[in-house]
Amino acid sequence: MSDWRVLLVEDNPDDEALTIRAFAKNDIHDKIVVARDGAEAVDYLRAIDSGETPPPALILLDLKLPKVGGLDVLHQIRAGQRTRLIPVVVLTTSVEPEDVLAGYDGGANAYVRKPVSFSDFVAAVRTIVTFWLSLVERPPAATAPALPGGQPAAHS
Amino acid sequence: MVCVAADGRITMVNAQAERLFGYQREELEGQLVEVLVPGAAHSVHPQYRTTYMADPKPRPMGGGMQLSVCRRDGSIFPADISLAAIDTEEGILMTAAVRDVTSRQQAQEELERANRELESFAYSVSHDLRAPLRTLAGFSAALLDECADELGEAGRGYAGRIQSASEQMAKLIDDLLRLARMSKAEVNLQPVDLGAEVASIAAELQRDRPDRSVLFTIQQPVWVLADRSLIRTALQNLMENAWKFTSGRDDASIDFAAAPVTQQARVRCYVRDNGAGFDPAYVDKLFRPFQRLHSAREFPGTGVGLASVRQVVERHGGRVWAEGVVGGGATFYLTLQPADAL
Repeated sequence: MSDWRVLLVEDNPDDEALTIRAFAKNDIHDKIVVARDGAEAVDYLRAIDSGETPPPALILLDLKLPKVGGLDVLHQIRAGQRTRLIPVVVLTTSVEPEDVLAGYDGGANAYVRKPVSFSDFVAAVRTIVTFWLSLVERPPAATAPALPGGQPAAHS
Repeated sequence: MVCVAADGRITMVNAQAERLFGYQREELEGQLVEVLVPGAAHSVHPQYRTTYMADPKPRPMGGGMQLSVCRRDGSIFPADISLAAIDTEEGILMTAAVRDVTSRQQAQEELERANRELESFAYSVSHDLRAPLRTLAGFSAALLDECADELGEAGRGYAGRIQSASEQMAKLIDDLLRLARMSKAEVNLQPVDLGAEVASIAAELQRDRPDRSVLFTIQQPVWVLADRSLIRTALQNLMENAWKFTSGRDDASIDFAAAPVTQQARVRCYVRDNGAGFDPAYVDKLFRPFQRLHSAREFPGTGVGLASVRQVVERHGGRVWAEGVVGGGATFYLTLQPADAL
């Protein structure tokens, strides 16, 4: 599974840069697609559902987003035929019990608080990637309808 | 004051009631008391009145419900009403002492609003203040990582300071939030063996720092009535302090023991260490948030730990205090209810 990518839904440019850096520190390069607000994320999800774009292996979702909120994006992910089984890790700042609950209620697979310390963040990214991309048995692609023309288009 | 006869008619009002309700005395006397009852409660009031007359003991009206009454102009205000009965030649008279509690209710509402504001403040602290901290910590780490040579030794030192200060501030925010949450948390009392809790905290401390040699003497069991998770937080703070402030000693020792306080049906426990201690002149400052008696250079910390210990113990109806001398160790006492008081 070398042709995988991660969709990062993140509006804060600093956090975006730090997340990309944290992936790079784990020797993962050029795998991240960024949606810079909820509306962009929804557009991206539509493109997946219509078969234009292959689904990401994992979605990292911030909850506090301008325009369309993170929970709405989550709802959209779970409602889409081709996106509903994609693992979603909420990656956000709040650990307010209501937010955590709302995240899981909305169908998030995991809820992680962004650590302040960068070395902790690098470690968190390593754990997330190791768990979701190599340890777990991922939902078989057959549960989603096959893309027109067979194989998903390869992206570099 | 409003007097009402058995048939529900107002027989007498005092001057204060005239002012309160905006009626002249003659307008009220002879009327059914329901004229003072807001429309919503009109239909049920005569029934309440009859029930009261059947057993006319002095008591507050409404059984703790928020009551309201109606002025002449139709406006409604919240009121406390105390009922009593007097035996007279004309039969039993019901007296109702009516007090306008508008200002009390307003104060209550204001307090609730302030609490909600505080909550949303705490929320945005957790959310919004952490984001720039992550930027500070993250990019100072990036500087150290990618531009170490260009920065030179002094520059690397500066970046390191930014990094540790931002991480320190994150800890502060977390501690503050924990303190705020603790003051709201429910206290679920159950029997807890404090000795067992202390022993498990000690084991965790030792596991994280296997190189340190500390002699623990822990009395077990010490049964008290407490909220397990709250009291564990308090003990954790006390033990971490003892662990931290004995770090300079090769012969460090930390004791936990308890004794009943007979007159008060209380258990007094203490955590004692032979560490750096503190200047007893500042003992009053110890339990206040952000007050620190040691420099961050000597002993790092946020100064919130002991404030939360006090918060927890006071939520249990207990007391906490400390004794210490500079260089001669410190003892932190707390009193709690014994478990057999259940």
